[in-house]
Amino acid sequence: MLRRFWLIPVCAGVVVTAACSKKADTSTDTASTTTATTTPPAQPVSVTGVQLGKAVGADNKVTNETDDFKPNDTIYASVATDGTAPNATLSARWTYQDGQVVDTTSRAIAPTGAAATEFHISKPSGFPKGKYKVEIMLNGTSTQSKDFKVD
Amino acid sequence: MGLLDKILGNDEPAKKADFSDVQSGSSSTAPAPAQTTSAGASTYTVVSGDSLSKIAKHHYGDANKWHAIYEANRDKIKNPDLIHPGQVLTIPDIS
Repeated sequence: MLRRFWLIPVCAGVVVTAACSKKADTSTDTASTTTATTTPPAQPVSVTGVQLGKAVGADNKVTNETDDFKPNDTIYASVATDGTAPNATLSARWTYQDGQVVDTTSRAIAPTGAAATEFHISKPSGFPKGKYKVEIMLNGTSTQSKDFKVD
Repeated sequence: MGLLDKILGNDEPAKKADFSDVQSGSSSTAPAPAQTTSAGASTYTVVSGDSLSKIAKHHYGDANKWHAIYEANRDKIKNPDLIHPGQVLTIPDIS
């Protein structure tokens, strides 16, 4: 009988030790999981350049860069971006001389590296002659602009 | 007033250019976001003076295709005759 009572604290000690060990194991698992899922931070998307021209290739890049257009030309703006984003909005805002808005077009993209997005405008009756500007916005923030003329 | 305006060169208000028939579009080598727009769709931010038929004419060359834009934006447009500057509309690819 006395021998049985002697066993109780020994068993309790084993249980406490096991519980502590389990807790320690859990901490180790969490730490190792955190380490395992850490990846290099993705580079945020940014606008790296804007080209204007009368045509774009299959890669959406301007084939013949110019800032001088004729009234019946289709005017292309090729916007180069780099970086990664699950959802970014690129916008092109075209304005005439004193700021009159010609057109605004937005496009949602999910780039995973270098990309090119083209925006274009045309006017069947011909653009009025004068100075124009295209302003490129990324997520609503102006990033770059280009001036051009129609004559 | 007329004489004074003529002297000052203000007899005619500055005439705004008409860009109502401007057609626009875009494409990208980057994929479209998975959930916000379907493949081939783009978005357009409404500016003052816009209507669905005007936007349809800009994007599709046909004002009668405004229904496609309306259907793609039923969650944002309650009355097709009433859109607001600043609204971002999905322009579905119907080509």
